[in-house]
Amino acid sequence: MSKKIGVYICECGTNISDRIDIDSLIEEISSLEDVGVAKKYGLLCSPAGKKYLAEDIKKEELTHLVIGACSPREHEQTFMKVCLEAGLNPYLFQMVNIREQCAWMISDKEAATRLAIKYIRAGIKRVALHKSLEKIELESNPDVLVIGGGIAGIEASLSLAGPERKIYLVEKTDALGGMTNKFAQLLPHQGANLSIVKDKIEQVNNNEHIEVFTSTAVEDIHGFLGNFEISVTNQEKDSEKKEFKAGAVVVAIGFGLYDPKETPAFGYGDVENVINALEFETMISSGKIVLKNGKPPASVALIHCVGRKEKGYCSKTCCLYSIKFARYLKDKLPNVDVSEFYQDLCLPDKSDQNYFEEAKKKGIHFIQSDEIEIKDINDRIKVKYKSAEGKKEELSVDMAILAPAMVPSQDTPKMAEMLNLPLDETGFFKEAHEMLNPVATPIEGVFVVGCALGPKNIPDSIVQSQAAAGKILSTLIPGKKLEPEVKTAEIREEFCTGCQTCLSVCFYGVISFDEHKGISIVNEAICRGCGSCVGSCPSGAIKIKHFTYPQLYREVLEALR
Amino acid sequence: MEKEYTPQIIGFLCTWCSYTGADLAGVSRLQIPPSIRVIRLMCSGRIDPLFVTKAFISGSDGVMMMGCHPGDCHYQKGNYYTRRRYKTINSVFESLHLDTERIFLSWVSASEGVKYAHVTKEFSDKITGLGPNPVKKEIFL
Ligand SMILES: Cc1cc2nc3c(=O)[nH]c(=O)nc-3n(C[C@H](O)[C@H](O)[C@H](O)COP(=O)(O)OP(=O)(O)OC[C@H]3O[C@@H](n4cnc5c(N)ncnc54)[C@H](O)[C@@H]3O)c2cc1C
Ligand code: SF4
Ligand code: SF4
Repeated sequence: MSKKIGVYICECGTNISDRIDIDSLIEEISSLEDVGVAKKYGLLCSPAGKKYLAEDIKKEELTHLVIGACSPREHEQTFMKVCLEAGLNPYLFQMVNIREQCAWMISDKEAATRLAIKYIRAGIKRVALHKSLEKIELESNPDVLVIGGGIAGIEASLSLAGPERKIYLVEKTDALGGMTNKFAQLLPHQGANLSIVKDKIEQVNNNEHIEVFTSTAVEDIHGFLGNFEISVTNQEKDSEKKEFKAGAVVVAIGFGLYDPKETPAFGYGDVENVINALEFETMISSGKIVLKNGKPPASVALIHCVGRKEKGYCSKTCCLYSIKFARYLKDKLPNVDVSEFYQDLCLPDKSDQNYFEEAKKKGIHFIQSDEIEIKDINDRIKVKYKSAEGKKEELSVDMAILAPAMVPSQDTPKMAEMLNLPLDETGFFKEAHEMLNPVATPIEGVFVVGCALGPKNIPDSIVQSQAAAGKILSTLIPGKKLEPEVKTAEIREEFCTGCQTCLSVCFYGVISFDEHKGISIVNEAICRGCGSCVGSCPSGAIKIKHFTYPQLYREVLEALR
Repeated sequence: MEKEYTPQIIGFLCTWCSYTGADLAGVSRLQIPPSIRVIRLMCSGRIDPLFVTKAFISGSDGVMMMGCHPGDCHYQKGNYYTRRRYKTINSVFESLHLDTERIFLSWVSASEGVKYAHVTKEFSDKITGLGPNPVKKEIFL
């Protein structure tokens, strides 16, 4: 079919016509190949302008459209809609910016006109190479898979569940609650005992829109936003397998603790009555704070920052729960002598400072120290340290409680591989953007919340779960179809050598390797159309729609002519 | 009298940051040399070293690559590829004894209209000083 390109130059009131000699521009370009009509109009984006344009497209039976006007950032969408109304595929249209980046930038009218001619000619030659592209609509499942039944996973499930949205909450142990199950109590201002956690677990169990799987492992997840396919197996009931679909995934697999044995100086496992924080929580729960010999301790050292230097980050929560322990000790054993050995005190939240001041009033000693070494000397614990003044000091105590750094949960690497998620240098999951997009990941529809993203306390974990829920609620609207990007990458089978370079280039995990065919394939439903992969392919096998080599080469060539 | 030499420069700009920054320069009525010809891309990561070669063969005297600042890429990582490819192009040009001064990489955000005006003027002045690209007529391929 022969082409008939329509070229319309907008005067933009006088914004463009004052600065560019539109008549000579039109004269220059109207004789170019395939240009059927070349006209000017006062204000194309006005209701009258749009109507005129739509009618003209139909009347002139245009096959392609070029508009010289403002920036495509301003009105490309507007004119694409006009194309649709006029029955012209909106991708057979090219918008040329002769206002912002021409008329308004170049005060010499002759020079501006010359440049506008080049830009318009480039647009005409480019559009002649355009192909129609069709928007597709995809069904989207509003349900959500939540992995991990700690406080973060619980909160995400509660925030998301509803009559039109089912939640699958998968927990690998036999109970919900996560790390908090090992605690005797929370910080006092977080409510008595563990009531907030217990209440939430009860709400989950009573919520008919949440299906809880305990003692269950996620075996496989594949798919993309709106269309994930999941299989899980129950570790107890003869590995009973279940399969279901969900539109989004929330990863809330929590954290583990640094093993103090990795730093022998802390004496853990070696020196009697040196225990870690979780062991102390258990001791509190049992109601008896005693040494190995059954007697209560007369003095206790709380050691902060165990593994902080080794891991290279602060775990944010240990200072506060160590103060929680000290206050607990003072309440139960009023005469006990308690010393907190810290490197830096981390008291970031608004109630923390007060909590710390009160602890000092109770007579708890706070010792800034470094180079801690815990030794067994004549059956007593000796804590050797370097004081803030740089002096070597030591203190004998009956018991030492270590606050180990929070480290990534042991399943993190496996989960990262399954979902194609990146980890950062600390080994925790990496955010899509730490500041701008803190609970999203590069994989659309997959979110990470709570301590799986890094150390934090319960309130901050809850904030993240609510944030992820907000994101999901606003994208996965029940009944709404998804409209994936149209200008996507495409791998041409006959050129691909299967080198898999593109797999590592695509940040969104869009490309996968087809073992059977020995080539790579693009999942067009999730490609964002950035084009980064295109230039990385040594075989030139990747093509990106609407920004193809021929289209861009032609644009370059004409802009220089 | 001989006409003053105006170079021809191709600029590959990502739509989210640099192209928007360039629009802002226009909205602010900053003056940009008419030598600059902008090609809009979704992401600077789309810039293939071949584009640069192609631009020179087609008669360009200079090529600009522009994207979002590192860490701000709309597609997270695209501009890191741009940076790497810029280095690659440079070393290829060096090994062919071609002028690397004619290739230019800059990060321009959506709010940096002033920077856009500044860097394009500087680069255009530099290319004007260097004169027409000597390889454009004789290059192989
Ligand atoms: C000693 C100590 C005391 C603390 N005291 C307090 C306090 O008083 N107040 C406070 O605010 N914070 C406190 N914290 C911090 C608190 O523990 C965390 O903020 C909170 O537990 C984070 O919740 P989470 O759901 O992200 O992770 P977790 O509690 O670790 O829960 C993760 C869940 O995911 C499950 N899981 C892991 N892998 C998988 C998998 N592959 N598949 C399925 N499920 C999986 C785990 O079994 C677990 O149930 C304390 C921390 C410690 C170490
Ligand atoms: S980089 Fe190119 S050749 Fe290599 S796998 Fe990807 S598409 Fe195939
Ligand atoms: S165009 Fe971008 S998002 Fe799409 S496959 Fe290539 S690198 Fe991935």
